[in-house]
Amino acid sequence: MPERVVTVVPEDGLHARPASKFVETASESDAEVRVGRVDGDPVNAASMLAVTGLGVAAGEDIRLTAEGDNAEAALDELERILTTPEDEL
Amino acid sequence: MLKDDIDTLLPLAQISLADPPADKWAAIEHLLDLIADNGRVTDREAALEALREREAEATTGVGMGIGIPHAKTAAVTRPSLAFTRSSEGIDFDAMDDEPAHLLFMILVPADGGEEHLGILSALSRALMHDGVRETLRSAETESTVQDAVREAVN
Repeated sequence: MPERVVTVVPEDGLHARPASKFVETASESDAEVRVGRVDGDPVNAASMLAVTGLGVAAGEDIRLTAEGDNAEAALDELERILTTPEDEL
Repeated sequence: MLKDDIDTLLPLAQISLADPPADKWAAIEHLLDLIADNGRVTDREAALEALREREAEATTGVGMGIGIPHAKTAAVTRPSLAFTRSSEGIDFDAMDDEPAHLLFMILVPADGGEEHLGILSALSRALMHDGVRETLRSAETESTVQDAVREAVN
C-alpha cells in the first residue's frame, strides 16, 4: 500500500485552512486515505473531527497511507498541501 | 492531558442545555455570551472578531454533528470552554453536510501559546466516541455535561 512520511510545514500545523484543504482533498479522492503520527494509530483522513483530534503541529512528521484507485496521486496532492506554507495555499 | 482542569475551563455557568438560536452566527454569539456573562470577556466585539477571522479561514463545523468555534484573543481573561446543544441542528457549513447538534466554544488568551489547539484536539478525540456524543445530547443537567467532558478528555 502506498505510504509516505511528510513533515508538516504550515505554521499552525494541521489546523484551520490547511486541515480543511487536506480533509477536502482526502474526501474527494477515490483512494481511502489514512493519516497518523509515525508512532501512532492512523485515522480517516476524510474526517475533519478525526484530523483535528490528531493535533499535529508544524514541524511534526506524519504518515499517510492510501489504498485504492489513484492512491499515489492522492498522496502527491496531500503532500503538496502539507508542505505549502499557509499563506501560499 | 489539559493544563487547566475542567471545572475551571468549563464551569457550569458556561454550559447551556436550552436550544441556542438556529442560525450559525447567532449560536456562536450565544456561546460567546455564556463566557462573557461569566465575567471572562473584557471586549466582546474583539472576541467576536477573532472568531469571525478564524471562521473565515475555514469552518469549525468539523462534521459528525459537531461545531467547535474557537479563537485566541486578548479579549478573554483565561482559557474557557462553553457548551450548548441544538435539538434541531444548525447548518455549520460542515464538509459532511451534517447539521451541528453539539457546540463547543474555545477561547484562550492571546498569550496562551498553542493551548487552544491542545484543547481543540483533546476535545475532538473525545467527541469521536459515540457514547460521549450520546451522553452530551441526552444530558439533563449541566453537571452531567461537565462530568462527561472531564471523563472524556482525561
